[in-house]
Formats: sequence, C-alpha cells, structure tokens
Amino acid sequence: MIIEGHGLKRYYQRGVETVKALDGVDIAIKQGEMVSILGPSGSGKTTLINLLSCLDAPTEGTLFVAGKSVAGLSEDQLVEVRRGTLGFVFQQFHLLPTLTVTENVELPLLFLMRKPNPARTGEVLAMVGLGDRAGHRPNELSGGQMQRVAIARALIMDSKILVADEPTGNLDRASGEAIFQLFRKLVKEKGLTIIITTHNTTFGYEADRVITLEDGKIIKEENSWCARRDSNS
Amino acid sequence: MFQFTRFIGLAIKNLRRRMIRTALTISGVALAVAVAVSLGGFMLGYKGAIDKSIEMLGFQVMIMAKGCPYEAATMMLKGGTGLIYLPSDTYDKVKSDPDIESITPIFVGIAQKEGSGIRDEASQEKSFTIISGIDAPSFMTMKPWMKFKGGPGFEGGRWFSAGSKDEVVIGFEAAEYEQRKVGDIFYASITPAGSMTPVRHEFKVVGILERTGTQDDGTVFMPIDTAREYFNRPNQLTILGIKLKEFNQFKMHEFESRWLKLPEVQVVGLQQVKNTLVALVATAQTMIAAVAAIAVIVALIGVINTILMSVYERTGEIGIMKALGARRRDIFELIWLETLVICLLGALLGCLLAMLGTGAVEKAIKSLANLGVNGSIVNITPGVLGYAVLGAVILGFLGGLYPAWRAASMRPVDAIREGAV
Repeated sequence: MIIEGHGLKRYYQRGVETVKALDGVDIAIKQGEMVSILGPSGSGKTTLINLLSCLDAPTEGTLFVAGKSVAGLSEDQLVEVRRGTLGFVFQQFHLLPTLTVTENVELPLLFLMRKPNPARTGEVLAMVGLGDRAGHRPNELSGGQMQRVAIARALIMDSKILVADEPTGNLDRASGEAIFQLFRKLVKEKGLTIIITTHNTTFGYEADRVITLEDGKIIKEENSWCARRDSNS
Repeated sequence: MFQFTRFIGLAIKNLRRRMIRTALTISGVALAVAVAVSLGGFMLGYKGAIDKSIEMLGFQVMIMAKGCPYEAATMMLKGGTGLIYLPSDTYDKVKSDPDIESITPIFVGIAQKEGSGIRDEASQEKSFTIISGIDAPSFMTMKPWMKFKGGPGFEGGRWFSAGSKDEVVIGFEAAEYEQRKVGDIFYASITPAGSMTPVRHEFKVVGILERTGTQDDGTVFMPIDTAREYFNRPNQLTILGIKLKEFNQFKMHEFESRWLKLPEVQVVGLQQVKNTLVALVATAQTMIAAVAAIAVIVALIGVINTILMSVYERTGEIGIMKALGARRRDIFELIWLETLVICLLGALLGCLLAMLGTGAVEKAIKSLANLGVNGSIVNITPGVLGYAVLGAVILGFLGGLYPAWRAASMRPVDAIREGAV
C-alpha cells in the first residue's frame, strides 16, 4: 500500500465547539490506483485528502505515506515527505501569471534544487496535451488548459502520488471529462496513484474505487463498476 | 546559507506583476535615499569647503572690531554688509608682538557698480562689489598661491604700486562678470562715510588674478590707503590678518589675552570660527537629518506595506508553493529577496537622482542661507553613495523580515483555502 491510515481523526476547535471533520477513518490505497472521494459539502473530503497528502496532520490515528509514518510530524517534516512524493492539483489553478507555461511547470524544481530539463518539461507538457502552449502565459489559456498546466506542474517532480482536490470544480463538462481522461491515462501509462475529491458523481465513477464520506465517516466504499451500476439502477 | 540567486528571477517577476505599485514604492525609497545622499554630500562638502576657505584666507588669527565675530568672519570668507571698523593704529600696536610671523591690514568696503558693468547696463540694475584695500607685499606673504592670469588680454598682470589711486587688481570671477582685461577701465561708485551720495571713480585694471576658489575671486583689490580715502575712513581698517610663528591652543590663548586688553578689538582664531560655523550648520543638518530619517522610515513602511499586500494577494500561490515542496526557508528567502530588490533599485535610483540634482541642491542651499563659504558645498563621494546603498540594503533586510516571516509561517492548508476565496 502506498497510503495506509487507521482510525484517522481530525478535530478542530471552533470557539467552545469541537468540530469532528474526520471521525475515525480507515483507508488503504494501492500504488497505481485511482480513487475518488465523494460526498456532500462538509462531509470531510478535503480534510481527508489533506491528511493523505501530508498537508495536514491527524489529531489521532496512524498514517503511512510511501512507507513513512507521518502522524505527529511537524510542518517542516511533512514538507520533506511531500517533496518529490506528492503532486497537487486544486480547484483554483494558482498559476503564476507572470511566468510562462514552461516556467510554471518547472517552478517546483526551484524548491527541490533540481535543474530544469527542457526535454523532460516538453515531454510532460506533451503528456497533458499542451506541447504547443509552452511559451504562453496563463491569461492566454482556457480554464481546462490552465488545469492541465497545474497537472503538468505536479508531474514534473516524478511524484508517485497525484492529489486532486475538486480539479473540475471550475471547468465546464467537456473540460472536466478531458481532465479525468488524462488522469486515467496517467494511471494506466505511468502507474501513478491518483486521489481525487469531487462533487461530480459521474466524474467520480471514472476512478477505480469510490469512497463516499458523510459527517466525517466513510459510509460507502465500492469499486467503480459497482458504483456505476448502482448509479444507473 | 541563503541562496538568493536561486530566486532572483522569480522575485523580479513577482514584483513586475504590480508594476505601478512597485514603481511607486521604488520611487519612495529613491527619494529618501536621494535626500540622505544629498545631506551626506552636504555635510562632507560643507566641512571641506570651510576648511578650504579658511586655509585660503592665509592667516590663522584675525583682529577685528568688537561685534559678532562669526558674522565678521563670514564676511571675510564670503562677503557681506554691516561692516564695522577698527582704529588704524591698532596695526601699529599689534605688529610688534613677538609671536607674530606676519601681519597684514585689510580694509573692506562695498562699492556700487551702477552703470559700470556691461551686464549691469543691459539689465539697468544696480549691483555691488567687494572692495578690498590691501597692503600688497604683506598680503602676498599670506597668500603666496595668488597668481596673475596669463594669455591674450591678460599679459603683464601686476600688483598696483603702493599709494597709487587709480589702479586695481580684479579677482577671476569679478573680471569674468565685468568682462575686464588688463589695461581696461573699471568704474565703481563709492559712498564716502558721512555722505549719502556715491562718487564715481575710474580705475585702470593692472592685473587679473587666477581663480582661487575663494571670496578673493569676486573681489576688487586696491591699495589700502586709496580705499580708506575713497570710503572716507582714513584712520580705520576692517581686520588684521595674522599668522603666528607657532600656532596652537596655548599660543593662541596667550596672544588673545595680550590683545583683548585693547577696548575696541576682539581676537578671533579661525579654527574657532570654523568650529562654530560647522556647529551652527550642524544644528540645521541635524534637523534635515531628522527629516531625512522620517523620509526613510516612511519609505520603509511603504516597502513593508507593499510586500505585505503582495503576500496577502498571493496567499493561495504561497500555499501551492509550499504544497509543491517549498520549505519555510524558501518562502522566507523569496519574499525577503523581493524586499531587497525594491530597496536596492530604490537606492541606486536615489543615488542617481542625488548625483544629477547636486547642482540644484547646492543652488537651493546657497539661496536659503549664507553659509560663509565659496565653492562647492555638496560633495557626493563614492563613500557617501556606498553608505547610502548599504543603508538601504540593511533597511531592506530589516523591513523584509516581517512580511517574509508572515509568508513563511502560513500553513499550506490554510493558505490554499484562503487563496481560493
């Protein structure tokens, strides 16, 4: 398992009230698996994905990412786990407007102290279908293209895991479908592990496995063909 | 060890995102630096100008009529009105003092140049010139560097013969202003003491002096007896310039004690005058420095504000950068570097502004106050520029600390969430 968590809890204090954003979740994700996390707003999707991607630490529970125990690590230690292991895509693309597509894609290498390799950057851009947009700036791209740049930025580090939090939230249906097709391609061709949160059940069923959350707990976990069947029935 | 060069390109591109805001912030720093550089140049230049002016007077001690010694000293250095006079027998009493190496009597008066100068005729305005009545041999002992100008029209320059009544020697600038050459006629209207009516006199120019960079350049010299006669002050003089055989504080004190017993005179050491002039100007400089310091603080607050705004605007991006592997230190360096770039560019622009504006600053200072010196009073040296740039960089380091710390401390989860709003 590339990610394995047991009894994961994440509580927040809001005034005198304790918010149980995640309340005892057990999860295991295999290398090369594409997993969708579904659920209504406030169900704990983003909290779970933040824990699995080492952006946040659980209040309780054990969590292993790429073989390392990450529960109880400090923020600086979590960065070390993330570096080169996890790539991120968010609903907001957060591309730097003054940088070209190529420069945006190569940005993480600056922090990893790796020298950019133009051939590798070209390969990644070709993979996401933006080979001809390398010199463009974000304001010259469509929403779908900007999200592809964000995906390329996540891929440039050769991460084993790609985490996507509502990646199609700002896209139209056609662009959203294209992004999910790209994810499938990456899983199939590159053996990438992809974890996605989404509101959109149709897109969610494109994954190998669908986990449904409600009130901070997993209420359903099923393979996608089962999910699709149930959805159609 | 920080690796600023790694992020320099990114920092500059970040600053270019809000070009006008960045340019305004840089301008604020530039203005503050320009003020600081001009002030530094003025402090340095003024002290140098005072030193030079006093050295070029040629004597260390002045004996003059009682009154404000500094006003009198300033008059000697720069020229001025409100002259008071000594009885001329003071010279006879003092000249035999055993500590004196050389002594020269000087009579200073102000003459009207109405209708005499070419430029005056064109403008139909009155102007004045300083007349210095001197004893040429003893005066030249004090100022051996004074030379006559050569070249076409200036050949054969010489000092007037003692007692001559129609010969003058003109300083470099006065000659240029009046467009006089050796052999020309120079007119001056002198109002004798006790009269209200100026009397026009005609002089022959017998020599034009080389430039000395002192008040002498704007002076018209004539024999002391002639000057006294025309100003109708036959038994008076303005100062006695004295060079002591041995000049130190002790000897100066001794000399001063001996001659202060004369009721009508005061003894003024030029070192003392210099210190007082510098101290007087230092008070003004302190006030200007305070204004400059406020300008620097305001500029620094502007820089911090700009960078903080930029950090808040980029909260989401900072969160993404941290998610993608940026350490706290990386974000700190990046934001700190942006502050430094603003301060450094501001400092360089400020230095350029100060250098280009030296002439204007000098003109403004001279028009506002009589500083008692001729020549350049603003001296912007590489040292002054270096300190200004260094100071701006240090302020940049300090000013960048808080925004950089603030950005570096953001939790990626919170930053991404806030940035998504």
